Amino acid sequence: MRARIRDAICGAGVMLVVTAAGGPVAAQTKAPIRIGEINSYSGLGTVYTFPYREGLLMAAKEINDAGGVLGRPIEFIFRDDKLKPDEAVKAARELVGQEKVDFLAGCISSGVGLAISAYAKEAKVLYIATHCQTSRLTWDDGHKYVAHTTNNVNQYVRALAKKAATMPYKKWAHISPDYEYGHNVWDEFSAYLKQLKPDVEVVQQNWPKLGETDHSSYVTALLQSGADAFLSSVWGAQEIAFVKQARPFGLFEKVHYFSASVGNPDELDPLGKEAPVGAITPGFAWYDDGMQKRHPKLAEWVKKYEARAKKEPTLGASWGYASAYIIAEAIKRAKSADTDKVITAFSEGFEMEFPWGKVIMRGCDQQAIPPQWIGVVRMNTKGKPVLADVEEVHGKDVIKSCDEVAKLRAAAAEKKK
Amino acid sequence: MSGLSVGMFLFLVSVGMSLIFGVTRIVNLAHGSFYMVGAYLMVTLVEVLPDRPWAFWLALVAAPLGVAVLGGAIEVGLLRLIYHRDPLMQLILTFGLILVISTLVLLVWGPDNKSVSRPDALAGSVLIFGQRFPSYYLLVLGLAPVVAVGLWLIFYRTRWGMLIRAATVDREMLGALGVNVAALYTQVFAFGSWLAGLGGALAAPTVAVALGMDGDVLTTAFVVVVIGGLGSFAGSFISALLVGLLQSFGILVFPAVSIVLLFAIMAVVLIVRPWGLLGRPEE
Repeated sequence: MRARIRDAICGAGVMLVVTAAGGPVAAQTKAPIRIGEINSYSGLGTVYTFPYREGLLMAAKEINDAGGVLGRPIEFIFRDDKLKPDEAVKAARELVGQEKVDFLAGCISSGVGLAISAYAKEAKVLYIATHCQTSRLTWDDGHKYVAHTTNNVNQYVRALAKKAATMPYKKWAHISPDYEYGHNVWDEFSAYLKQLKPDVEVVQQNWPKLGETDHSSYVTALLQSGADAFLSSVWGAQEIAFVKQARPFGLFEKVHYFSASVGNPDELDPLGKEAPVGAITPGFAWYDDGMQKRHPKLAEWVKKYEARAKKEPTLGASWGYASAYIIAEAIKRAKSADTDKVITAFSEGFEMEFPWGKVIMRGCDQQAIPPQWIGVVRMNTKGKPVLADVEEVHGKDVIKSCDEVAKLRAAAAEKKK
Repeated sequence: MSGLSVGMFLFLVSVGMSLIFGVTRIVNLAHGSFYMVGAYLMVTLVEVLPDRPWAFWLALVAAPLGVAVLGGAIEVGLLRLIYHRDPLMQLILTFGLILVISTLVLLVWGPDNKSVSRPDALAGSVLIFGQRFPSYYLLVLGLAPVVAVGLWLIFYRTRWGMLIRAATVDREMLGALGVNVAALYTQVFAFGSWLAGLGGALAAPTVAVALGMDGDVLTTAFVVVVIGGLGSFAGSFISALLVGLLQSFGILVFPAVSIVLLFAIMAVVLIVRPWGLLGRPEE
């Protein structure tokens, strides 16, 4: 009986590995390149990580079907970080020590990303951060053992601030969750807006705690602030609650709503008819006509993704997809899966074309620079909220320069002393 | 005003927790999970039922009943086995239930955030003393006192309520008098779960129904129950209002310490009256 259970468990294990590699692989006998992927696969992060993983596995399957990287298949070994930095580091140790993975990847929470990055630096393993957003990862706390394959806060917040600067608003307020990310967004937004438009004035600030469920008092404060517009960087479930609570007060008619995240489907879909029409926000609006005209290959990619995932794609899905290809490209350029050689490939930088445009992997900070999209929330003909009038700004036109990054790193090193 | 309505949500959830503790002496850590399941059932029912105004109200009645059935089943299937064990075992079991229910919710409903639209009649706001106030909160403000009065009537005017009160004082004696204590426990647990489910179903239109909503509410409900006195219903009511108002005004007056304030008050209550505002000291 016991042997049978063991066989069953082994069988399940083998099946898992096969699925992780993206199905049976075309006649490849060489040992796979193994990447340990640490992310939140239980609890409240799953709304982002499940589509992300789908995109990642879709790309891995395409890569492997086309013969793999340097003739070797790539394989992802997934671990759940439970949204906790210490769990993530434990998983990283296990992946490197026992599973003998070649690289580490993953992260949705910035705290987790920074913790894995610190471990990678100490263990001299290359960590490719994927889904988390903090700029500190490759800037203030950057080092050669970390590369970041997606957007950082700086780029989309500056793109949003650039749009805000074209509008006639002078008096600004904000509502941001009181932790690393919220402060990061507000600092970047207000600084860049002032740089572009020196006469703007911050009239009121709101710092609810992360995960706050009752926002009534902040809504009242925003209404009485006298601001022309406000920025929100509360996100996910918290922002949905904020919108639902602010709506009956008529806040969005009185103060123009700018948001760092309300344009994503994880917020727009559940809001449905209560979505904040008129809000200006970034988002991956693959369904937008202008977007599809600019990027002719996008529609086909969406179809392929939907056939696989049985769901519409999200920004996270595109990030997962891009991340797998960027990792493969770096290994290809290095002509080896050797850590130091792949780091050299990242530090030399490269560019890749994706169905949604060009992604630059910048060498100086090993940071990805993708296109950014800013749109307005509208109801489509079916009464579903979508992003409309989508404008594209490439990250390279707004991101901090390599010199500025060098200064940030020097300042951070100074602080540590 | 909004502080009052927050207090009312908290009352519904915490009074169920307090009731379960009062009778079965189990600190049900999975109470927040029942609240979450109530909200998810509400989402599903509103989706499944035809898009008519009555669908919302039917869902609001049915979703908490579903949670009550779940609670009853858990009591019969699991908790009944451990009443005589160490209280630590009970904590471990109900903590395990949090993880199991959270995983099951992910399997059944998937990872996406969900929500329920308010019925059109309650989507707007009303003017009260010149201030705009969301009309949906009026429903909550009205419903919670009805539940409170209903509970009082049940506990002090019915035989079932008398048995429950007797069980909180002396279970063995009650059993010796020929009352089926096991069945009473199941009923109480299901009733407490119903209250949590009602809180969740009512809250669904004002928040995002998402994984993680169980933990948020559990912490606050626990604080409410401790301040009010474990097992005391009036205590839960007063303390829920206190905490609701504190959260709203605390944010306006001392934004930086509003979270600490809550726990500071709990600490003070625990030092001065360890059994809570209206609880009974253990003999």
